[in-house]
Amino acid sequence: MTETSCAHVSAKDTVAEFAGATKRFGAILAADRIDLSIRRGEFLSFLGPSGCGKTTALRMLAGFDGPSEGAILIDGQDVSAVPAHMRPVNMVFQHYALFPHMTVAQNVGYGLRQRRPRLSKSEIAQKTDKALATVRLAEFGTRRIWELSGGQQQRVALARAIINEPQILLLDEPMAALDAKLRGEMQRELLELQRSLNITFVLVTHDQEEALSMSDRICIMGKGRIIQVGSPQELYDRPRSRYVADFVGKANIVAGQIDGRQSGMAQAILGNGTTVILRDLPGDSRQTAEIAVRPEALSIVAQDLPLTEGIAAIPARVTHRTFLGDRIEYLLMADGVGQLQVNAPRQAGGALGEHKVGSLVHVLWPEGTGLVLADDT
Amino acid sequence: MAMTQTRARALLLTPAALWYAALLLLPLAVVLIFSFGERSAIGGYAPGFTLEQYANLPARFAAFRNTLTLAPVGTVAALLIAYPLAYFLAIKVTPRWKTMLLVLVIVPFWTSILIRSYAWVFLLGGHGLPALLAAVGLEDIRLLNTPFAVLVGIVYGYLPLMVFPIYVALEKLDLRLLEAAADLGTPPWRSFLQITLPLSMPGVLTGSMLVFILLMGEFLIPAILGGGKVFFVGNALVDLFLQSRNWAFGSAVAVALVIIMLITVAVYTRAVKRFGAGRDDVGIM
Amino acid sequence: MKNENTPISREKFMEELRRYQKGSVTRRHFLGVTGLGTAMAVMGGALPGLMPTRARAQDIGDRVVLATWPNYHDTANFDMFTEESGAYTQINVFGSNEEMLAKIQAGGSGWDVFVPTNYAVPTYVQADLIEPLDLSRIPNFDAEAFDPRFADAGTIDGIVYAVPKNWGTTGIAFNSDKTGGVVDSWKTFFDGARDQFDNRVMVHDYQLTTIGNALVYHGFSFNSVDPEELAQAEKLLIDVKPHLYAISSDYQPAMRNGDAWLTMCWTGDGKQMNVDMPEIGFALGKEGGEIWSDYYAIPKGAPHKDAAYALINYLLEPEVNAREVLAHGYPVADRRTNALLPEELLNDPILYPAAEALDVLEFGAAVTLTDPNRAELMARFKSA
Repeated sequence: MTETSCAHVSAKDTVAEFAGATKRFGAILAADRIDLSIRRGEFLSFLGPSGCGKTTALRMLAGFDGPSEGAILIDGQDVSAVPAHMRPVNMVFQHYALFPHMTVAQNVGYGLRQRRPRLSKSEIAQKTDKALATVRLAEFGTRRIWELSGGQQQRVALARAIINEPQILLLDEPMAALDAKLRGEMQRELLELQRSLNITFVLVTHDQEEALSMSDRICIMGKGRIIQVGSPQELYDRPRSRYVADFVGKANIVAGQIDGRQSGMAQAILGNGTTVILRDLPGDSRQTAEIAVRPEALSIVAQDLPLTEGIAAIPARVTHRTFLGDRIEYLLMADGVGQLQVNAPRQAGGALGEHKVGSLVHVLWPEGTGLVLADDT
Repeated sequence: MAMTQTRARALLLTPAALWYAALLLLPLAVVLIFSFGERSAIGGYAPGFTLEQYANLPARFAAFRNTLTLAPVGTVAALLIAYPLAYFLAIKVTPRWKTMLLVLVIVPFWTSILIRSYAWVFLLGGHGLPALLAAVGLEDIRLLNTPFAVLVGIVYGYLPLMVFPIYVALEKLDLRLLEAAADLGTPPWRSFLQITLPLSMPGVLTGSMLVFILLMGEFLIPAILGGGKVFFVGNALVDLFLQSRNWAFGSAVAVALVIIMLITVAVYTRAVKRFGAGRDDVGIM
Repeated sequence: MKNENTPISREKFMEELRRYQKGSVTRRHFLGVTGLGTAMAVMGGALPGLMPTRARAQDIGDRVVLATWPNYHDTANFDMFTEESGAYTQINVFGSNEEMLAKIQAGGSGWDVFVPTNYAVPTYVQADLIEPLDLSRIPNFDAEAFDPRFADAGTIDGIVYAVPKNWGTTGIAFNSDKTGGVVDSWKTFFDGARDQFDNRVMVHDYQLTTIGNALVYHGFSFNSVDPEELAQAEKLLIDVKPHLYAISSDYQPAMRNGDAWLTMCWTGDGKQMNVDMPEIGFALGKEGGEIWSDYYAIPKGAPHKDAAYALINYLLEPEVNAREVLAHGYPVADRRTNALLPEELLNDPILYPAAEALDVLEFGAAVTLTDPNRAELMARFKSA
């Protein structure tokens, strides 16, 4: 999916840019020297926990907060001093911020009514109808906002923002208030919308699944800084740091002694003496490092079964077992290594067997699985 | 079961109904009955049934005219001063200062309006503001005992009543709506007209009604700051009941005042509602 | 009070008068516009149970309620009355006879003693609101000692309803620095208001004196209710109104700070201003004007009638009455009291004008109190 949606993105065509953008609120550094280019037509997500600076970044792009240092560029123009109402971007607010004293159609057409010189009434009506149809609310124009469900309100907010055909559509946690099922639907609708409109979308979210499933690129933020930018797959497969590994998907993070490095691979000895081969961090020369490995990359076999040559095996005991339908999550305790999580897909007939809490097993770590992490800054 | 509930509800509502009757309807009924009576030869009330008192209402035309001029003007003036103040308090002030500034708005209310009006007698009197104006070359400016002084007094006196409802309405305003408006291309002054103002209309309406209704019955401020030369219906009532003791006529004037108030309130409310419904970007909730 | 029988020196008198002035937020007007009068219990009242009670030769109860005019008593006298009788005095203050009458008419005033002005007494009698007095219970009232001019109005058809308290006049107070001399005619008063004293003249917020003096200007009776004459007075008032500084009975502040130069003025106010600011003089209108006399009376249905008699009797005791005069600055018609007052006071031209000046003055007539035309005229004047 990621591959296909990347197809229409031209890497050289930058629609907006953060150039060392820093934002201070008194003593608080909300955004710290952000450098980032946003490509025309891409779906970019800012991902991170609350207080990481992702919302500040979005607000600087929208024009609600001016950068204390550095600059914001849109279409190559420095817009740092351009107020929000003069920027070619529109936002879908977290709680939608729909105008309670206006009907649905009045909300949607609001942006068009702000144009100077004024648009004709018929043009506004026509575009409003079209936008309402786009979000499948054609029949709802005369309704009052409080008569709508959360999902409908969300679509009104969307229609209100896209009607202005912005260069960039900003989405501030737009799905946060929706229940899980609705959220999934909305995510699909948003993606379809983005493709049909060919507008750059910038999403702020703390929901990694949302970011992973929708974005062309994700910008992971922490403490006001950009930690890592990349496609969902890059971030999932190649997290540079524990922070990213932890935030994007689940990861087992264990300590390792690096005792050999060769052509992008590293050999590490875990605390229990097991030697594993994994991807190295380019340019790294540390003796000890944290190692990340995804739970689904590991597997479990009973200790009484013979081991296959060349596969590292860590003796461990099952402490928790959680049945999740399509998979089973095991929590295990391995002496000298610590806690490990292993996600085992359920296979027909349970070829690898299922393990009870308390049973002694080997956790299998295939060669080339996992990677060396950089220290968190 | 249903029977018991009905009875219980009736029992619970009885005290409220009795209070309502005793405190609101009974005095009004007395005034209504008096208004059809006559003035006895030595003053006071003589029973009777005549429409003479109502026929005589034009004798207080000037008082009604003065009241119906100064009450709306005073309400609008209070609104124009209160709105920016309430806006400042609700939106611009940091929480730490907010409480203190709000208290400052209330504090004058702890003193009788009488005392506060007398303070204006000194401020507007010959040794107050006019003396300062004379110092800058504006000789012989008369402020005290003019309709202007009365206007100042009523605006000052009723300001908190206007500030608070507007403050409460603005306090509830979701500031993200203003960001949304800006995001959609609205410059600040226009988003004030399109978002802030319509959403604070309930407060404006409440404040204006409170002030307007109280101004219609005002008698103290015109007497003190108008030097007795600015005559409101309230002053006419005081004189009719306490000086000439023409209680029947006084009651008729009071009834007329109540009717005028009811009509004005109804018209005003309807006008504001229509104003809100008729335009697509302005309204009340 | 060791020397309460000795006449008080001039210094002492002035001191007393000043004390009065300091406390004088006089404000007939103030009370008139607020209607606070009835609500204002100046003394005691709130805590009857806490007052010391002693065995009395004659028990008159623990309280007496007095309805009177502002700053019209020496409060020390009431303390002494409480000492002597065990009853303390609760005071309600009023702005006008009309207002007082309105409260009694409305019923349930709860008053024991009130102080109607001469012209109000007949209306109270007519409306059966006033108690005939049993003079045997007021031994301190000696009809012989009083100037009948100021005592007669209390007696109607041979029945004594009220005994005299004080008398006074309504004249003109003028700031001679501004007016360039004495103003002693209503002609100058009303003509000047539209000319050299534009915006400097005050008239009372009171139909009796304001209409009365406008009538006198035209040479009519102060008390006229003749429609023709009232019409002329009205024309004068409405013509003058835009030029007036204010229509208010609270004229002292404006006179004292120089905003107003001329005002209709009651004796006591004239005296008070003159003492502090000698440039403010007081003169009677030479065309005429009002002379008045206040009385003590008991309303029908007084709840503490024994105490009412005791209080009136006490206040008419010459020594007590003399202290009253020193406190409020209004003359009395009682020879016995005057004998105790300092000579300076008795010779004061404001309190005791020359007899010729008084001759042209008129007592207010009962009809003015109830005449609906005068009330309407006043309303038209004020709202014009």
